[in-house]
Amino acid sequence: MKGTELNYGDLEGVFKGLLENKVVDCLIMPRRVGNSVSYMLVRDKDKIATPESVIFAPSFGVNAANIVKGWMIAEKVGIVAKPCEIRAAIELIKLTQLNEDSVLLITVDCAGAFANEVYAANYADIGDHVDSAKIKELAGKGISIRDACAICDNRLADVGDIAIAQAGGEKAVVAGLTEKGEEALSAAGLSLEDKELDRAAEKEKIAAEAKQNLEGLPKISSEEALEEFLRDCIVCKNCRDVCPVCYCKECFFDQPLGNPAGGDLLNLAEARGAIEVPTNQLLYHLTRVYHVSTTCVACGACEDACPKDIPLTRFYPVLAKKVQEVFEYVPGKDAKEPLPFTTYEEDELEECLR
Amino acid sequence: MGEEKGGFEPKIVGFTCNWCTYAGADLAGTSRKKYPPNARLIRMMCTARFDPMFAFKALLNGADGVFISGCHPGECHYIKGNFYARRRIAAMRTILKQLGLDDRVKSYWISASEGVKFANTMKNITEEIRELGPNPMRDKIL
Ligand code: SF4
Ligand code: SF4
Ligand code: SF4
Repeated sequence: MKGTELNYGDLEGVFKGLLENKVVDCLIMPRRVGNSVSYMLVRDKDKIATPESVIFAPSFGVNAANIVKGWMIAEKVGIVAKPCEIRAAIELIKLTQLNEDSVLLITVDCAGAFANEVYAANYADIGDHVDSAKIKELAGKGISIRDACAICDNRLADVGDIAIAQAGGEKAVVAGLTEKGEEALSAAGLSLEDKELDRAAEKEKIAAEAKQNLEGLPKISSEEALEEFLRDCIVCKNCRDVCPVCYCKECFFDQPLGNPAGGDLLNLAEARGAIEVPTNQLLYHLTRVYHVSTTCVACGACEDACPKDIPLTRFYPVLAKKVQEVFEYVPGKDAKEPLPFTTYEEDELEECLR
Repeated sequence: MGEEKGGFEPKIVGFTCNWCTYAGADLAGTSRKKYPPNARLIRMMCTARFDPMFAFKALLNGADGVFISGCHPGECHYIKGNFYARRRIAAMRTILKQLGLDDRVKSYWISASEGVKFANTMKNITEEIRELGPNPMRDKIL
């Protein structure tokens, strides 16, 4: 791996260099708006100022991959985002919803994030970046990271083309993870040297913590529990719209069969005596969780977006993880690995069918 | 059905492939193997046509049991349709198991020549589902 260690203050030059040298035509990257963080699509390098104050900010609003979903354009887009967002982008490439040749994926280390409104409200306590000790301290004050982050075991920048890793103090390692990434950094004007980003021990620690937190989440393990869990859902489908890997051009639940009305509803009511209207929650969520079961990157955007505060992390990422274990598949980990439903082995899975 | 006459008769929806299990059911019929009539078969050209949503829908609409059955792996009429189907069924059943909803869902491989296996499978699934009792979703307003 080739990379270089920089002071936080030098990161601005890296992003500007990418634009200035036409390595990318634009960047999608976080920007600060008062105490809040959101994304900007930037083409003019002069609009980039003190990125170090915001790219590590532990705030989650939208999943950046959802912004570029379906952008099959030729211009090159650089995306600066957290690991779960870059992993979603990689899944979108596999799903042919994003053009591999026209993205440069730049992943930033993440220590776990607060919902963006929680972050903004507590900016004075949280600050521009945090580490695990600080997160524990904040939790003591009742300021907690999202459940999706508490169970996340992929927080280190090790996917995509370029990693921006915390190196302690006000320092970061910027390194190419792919040839494309290395070339991009050189073209942006950085002089690279051989660099090892060996963080196996840290990764292990994070995984152990994540596992413990996952086990601590309440389980939904019966029909009654599932109905109770979804009781207040109004089937607004926000959880679908913000999901980076839910990508159908026309969702089944926006079609007449999935969203029946009028005479179709009367027929259903005739068959069953009575049916719930506008619509029952179960079919929608069961179907959607199956659809995203191999590609869900456990980003928690669905939970954040639910207007009814349904803790969807206990449903989508938790169930998807079980399916991903069956296929030994980690979404977004390896751009070359085929999607589980597009491949098979002749002798497999019989134990799951019993 | 026979509910009033004592004993609960489960309603079972079976998604079967044209070339194997559906033909196996035919063979069971033409060779006069007796089996309970509780399963309504829905014929698909291949198990690869099976969409897990079909099973969700059947259960939510009150089917007491659901099964999917097609050619044995390696014997698909379309060469590899059931290899893909097996992955989808495995994902679906993994989800249903976590949610405690899997006991009413079964999957089998039954070939066109396995009329006896088809008949026995229908006996077994009918007994297993009868044991579980009616699907509670049957009477709910969903
Ligand atoms: S966002 Fe919440 S209320 Fe809307 S469909 Fe999803 S779970 Fe239901
Ligand atoms: S289902 Fe939820 S957690 Fe999974 S990728 Fe979609 S938004 Fe993220
Ligand atoms: S819920 Fe399913 S059908 Fe609807 S957009 Fe997502 S993947 Fe497509």
